[in-house]
Amino acid sequence: MAMNLIEAGAGRKKVALVIGSGGAKCAAALGLWQVLQEEGIQVSMAVGSSGGSIYAAAISLGFDLNTAEQLTLSLWTRDLMEGYATNLRRAMTGEVRFTESSGLIDDGPLTERLKTAFGTTSFSDAHIPLYIVSTDFYTGESVVHNNGPVLDAIRASIAIPMIIPPWQVGDRLLVDGAVSDPLPVDVAIKEGAQVILAMGFELPVRKRMRSYTAVTTHLNSLYMNNILKSTFAFHNLAHHAEVVLLLPELDPAIGAFSAEQFPEVIAEGARSAREQLPYLRRLLSQTSLD
Amino acid sequence: MNPPKNNRLALVIGSGAVKCAAALGVWKVLNRAGIKVDLLVGCSGGSLFATTMALGYSVDECIELTQRLWNRSITRKRDTRSFLKALLPQVFKFDERFGMIDDHAMFKNLRAVFGERTFTDTVVPLYLLATDFYTGEPVVLDRGTLVYALRASISVPFIWRPWRIGERFLIDGAVSNPLPVDVAIREGVELILAVGFETPAPRRIKSISRFVFHLNSVMTNNLYRANFAFHNLAHHAEIITVLPDFTQQVSLFDTQHIPYVIQQGEHAMEQQLPYLQRLLGENHSS
Repeated sequence: MAMNLIEAGAGRKKVALVIGSGGAKCAAALGLWQVLQEEGIQVSMAVGSSGGSIYAAAISLGFDLNTAEQLTLSLWTRDLMEGYATNLRRAMTGEVRFTESSGLIDDGPLTERLKTAFGTTSFSDAHIPLYIVSTDFYTGESVVHNNGPVLDAIRASIAIPMIIPPWQVGDRLLVDGAVSDPLPVDVAIKEGAQVILAMGFELPVRKRMRSYTAVTTHLNSLYMNNILKSTFAFHNLAHHAEVVLLLPELDPAIGAFSAEQFPEVIAEGARSAREQLPYLRRLLSQTSLD
Repeated sequence: MNPPKNNRLALVIGSGAVKCAAALGVWKVLNRAGIKVDLLVGCSGGSLFATTMALGYSVDECIELTQRLWNRSITRKRDTRSFLKALLPQVFKFDERFGMIDDHAMFKNLRAVFGERTFTDTVVPLYLLATDFYTGEPVVLDRGTLVYALRASISVPFIWRPWRIGERFLIDGAVSNPLPVDVAIREGVELILAVGFETPAPRRIKSISRFVFHLNSVMTNNLYRANFAFHNLAHHAEIITVLPDFTQQVSLFDTQHIPYVIQQGEHAMEQQLPYLQRLLGENHSS
């Protein structure tokens, strides 16, 4: 926290890093982070939603690039989907009751892996202030996490509806941040950021759908993409922070389990960041109006 | 040269299932006050009411038609084939033409009320909202057979199969544009009466379809708020919101509550009437 005081006193602009939802594609944020470090651009806060929460946390907790890459590779493996088909059949026939806290995968292994990576780390351990967004399952309102165990916040934020069970934190049942705020620039605005680096992703849509889940995930993507566009359009118009939007150009086919493509994903994240560097530099060198 | 100023008024009816019947209450108040609407826009459930109004039916006729269109009969029969497809996707060749409820009864009701009439038969220009099933983009329907456009606009995901019009596969307008004020803005009206609703979610979640349904409602509502906030901020048309207040819980197929819903619409509109009249007057004199 001492570091932040020094930063705040230096009179430089408050830069926020916002990483939107996008599943494993969010690893592109590591490329952006790499570029910022090379360029010596300091970040005053990291905000993440859904898949982006993992990288916002990794960055703000000071994981090195290698650790963050390893985390990506160990997290998203195909065996997470084990039991999925059986669970779907049971849910469809009514053999098992599907309730608000259900999901089609057994989330044990996923939660274990997050535990291995984040342990009992809390928000107060972060070097850079961290904010993670999830959604209240019942009301649909977005929930901003900035204290308590980071693990709980991430687990809630990545609870892809229907697939990964919602997560209880205190008296709230929480689900995927993308349901309410897929690219949470509003959090950075509220926290007083003057320059916002927002890395967003459109979720993949499908052409052929051969299962109930395919239709569900496709529809979720349509909804989340539309919510992304609308919320972003609104915040961009309503507020006066400078938002630098980074949209890595990634193969839409890159899914959660495309581990072999992660180096490409990270490289594309870095490329999209370099593209915006001149603009970002200009913004940072201008004196703040207030 | 400046075109002559006028005071065109659009009525936009958002998605919200049975709650959309509140638009009939709004309609009642407008009729009573002798205020004419120049443009009607509807989305999802709102499409049904926008269409009956556009065809020039009286308020009482609209109420009667609503009861014929929307009653328990439309949800009675499960779509067995879709159910089997979901269960055994390979055997029954699962594809995106999927909906849990058989749509024959609903389609029959639509036919019985609207027959073969087209958009050109309306007395007030009508625009209905649907969503492209593949891309998620909003699609504005303003030509062709009304029944098809309505069927597309109300294709609630998972409940009723998507509907094909021409090259496009269409679903519920609520997936892209739950309260389509932008259509009215684009058509250049000066005043917009926007009747919006929070889509009701199921009371209890005890099955996977209710879970999906709940999430769809939650996302529709988030989209509704975000879209509306944006349009309200971005445009200079005067938007008057009519947000009926329901103290009684109204669920998706609570058609028995329709009289209550209409009444709430009436109350909400009455509150905005003086303001609307003032705006109409101001525009007249300008």
